[in-house]
Amino acid sequence: MVTSHKFFKRFWKQRYLFLMVLPGFLVVLVFSYFPMYGIQIAFKKYSAVRGMWGSEWVGFKYFILFFQDPMAMRVLKNTILLGIYSLLWGFPAPIILALLFNELRFPKFKKAVQTISYLPHFISTVIIVGILRTFTEREGLFNKIAGWFGVDPIVFLSEPEWFRTIFISSNIWQGIGFGTILYLAALSSVDPTLYDVASIDGANRWQKVRNINWPHIKPTTIILLILSLSGILGTDFQKILMLYNPDTYEVADVIGTYLYREGIMGSRFEYTTAIGLFQSLVAFILLIGANMLSRKVSDTSIW
Amino acid sequence: MVGKESIGSKIFDVFNILLMLLLCVVMLYPFLHVIAVSLSSSEPILRGDITIFPKGFNVGGYKYIFQDPFLYSGYAHSIIYALGSTLFMLTFTSLMAYPLTLPDFMAKKFLSIFLVITMFFSGGLIPSYLLARSLHLLDTYWIMIIPGCVSAFNVFLFRSFYQSIPADLRESAVIDGANDIQILTKIYLPLSKPLLATFALFGIVGSWNGWFEALVYLQDENKYPLQLILRKYLFSLSFDSGTGTEVMQAMLAQMNVNAKNIQMAIVVIAMFPIMVIYPFLQKYFVKGVMIGAVKG
Repeated sequence: MVTSHKFFKRFWKQRYLFLMVLPGFLVVLVFSYFPMYGIQIAFKKYSAVRGMWGSEWVGFKYFILFFQDPMAMRVLKNTILLGIYSLLWGFPAPIILALLFNELRFPKFKKAVQTISYLPHFISTVIIVGILRTFTEREGLFNKIAGWFGVDPIVFLSEPEWFRTIFISSNIWQGIGFGTILYLAALSSVDPTLYDVASIDGANRWQKVRNINWPHIKPTTIILLILSLSGILGTDFQKILMLYNPDTYEVADVIGTYLYREGIMGSRFEYTTAIGLFQSLVAFILLIGANMLSRKVSDTSIW
Repeated sequence: MVGKESIGSKIFDVFNILLMLLLCVVMLYPFLHVIAVSLSSSEPILRGDITIFPKGFNVGGYKYIFQDPFLYSGYAHSIIYALGSTLFMLTFTSLMAYPLTLPDFMAKKFLSIFLVITMFFSGGLIPSYLLARSLHLLDTYWIMIIPGCVSAFNVFLFRSFYQSIPADLRESAVIDGANDIQILTKIYLPLSKPLLATFALFGIVGSWNGWFEALVYLQDENKYPLQLILRKYLFSLSFDSGTGTEVMQAMLAQMNVNAKNIQMAIVVIAMFPIMVIYPFLQKYFVKGVMIGAVKG
């Protein structure tokens, strides 16, 4: 009796605090937790009339369906390959650019180049795709450049073998400048006297980059690598949705686009929820795995 | 250090500067090209002659676009969604982060776990869509404003920013008889102006550039944000395949514009606000990334 009285008294004293967290709490509860509760339809035969809870359980039916569907296998393969290629090409790019920025000697020039290189980051995907479609047309810039080298015009967006190149290189174009920020921050913590000492010891610039700059950005690199590894299945499907067409489905169709087509457009809610659940489980395992690996190799961890 | 540099080092400097100039060209060319095409006349566009200067000056594309009521409604809705979601984000996030900085708040631990879980798990696209449908939120302004407005990541960033405010300030305010809401609005928020500005920009740009949520949750074209109107233009007016209707083609020919003119004009119009605030954006975003990095 006494303790509950005390509890209530303390609660009453903090009533304003509870009031303050209430709106945020409700938004997260409804828009983050209710959908998690909704994942159960991956194991049910969903009926809008009987509601989420009243629908009948069907076990792993949709997961089995997914793994037997040849289309789904194609989608999985595309997602993994696109993720790996994006990481392979896209991850080192900002590191190299940051190291090059760092070697520039005129502060004003450096600042100007940085500012220009951040610009594409702020442009919407719709606009980027619009520009890409213009450049990849038969009369577009890319074909013009190809023409200088005597290459016949290519309709790039209808050619499956060009899809990955266009997707990944445009992502790099958009993200490379902004991606340097964290690395430049790490580089700005280098004590300048280290360079002087290295000069006295006769180190050349490449040796300074390798032995002074690289160790300073290594922890940042590892953390960002862990995050990218866990996001390897999380390709930017929104961009693909505007960039692909039936001609390029064979390489461009990924989990996200497949979910959108089958789920939202095709109303196969249970099946696509099952695929979504599978995807987030894999992403979670990848995150844990990458983090464990990094902890073992380098003592760096994101938590 | 400068005096006795090796030749190799100097060659590298020259090479590096040239590379950076090339980078600038690659980054800027597409934007200049878009502007040039939007202002050019049909023939040079068809020949693919435009680089970064307009040829045969022509504002027909803009004239065409400005006749379309969807442009204005798209613009208005993008502004509503951007300001609405940002306002709710700042309000709800600052309110929620404050109690989490107080060591004796009863629900502190529960709420932290409650939020952390959402950083690792989510319901995904389809359950979120079904939820919105069953709450009758499809085709409403609310679905574009509320669902994303509280994120665990932002709450934790706000909390760590608040924690850098000296606790003495709060204690003396408590002694003066201020309640927690007064402390937040009179002491914490004024001290957090740079944080609020950064996140306001984050929120506005994110919402302005977003289109997928609108594609999923809105069917009513009258509620479309600008990006979806833009997308419609990019997809339905294709010069290459001639998918536009014949009436449309004839009308365009009469106005001496072609699909490219119109598409690039609306791209320029959609980019315009971002370009105008870019100098601020750039500065605050760099700051914002750093705040995130220190925390994360």
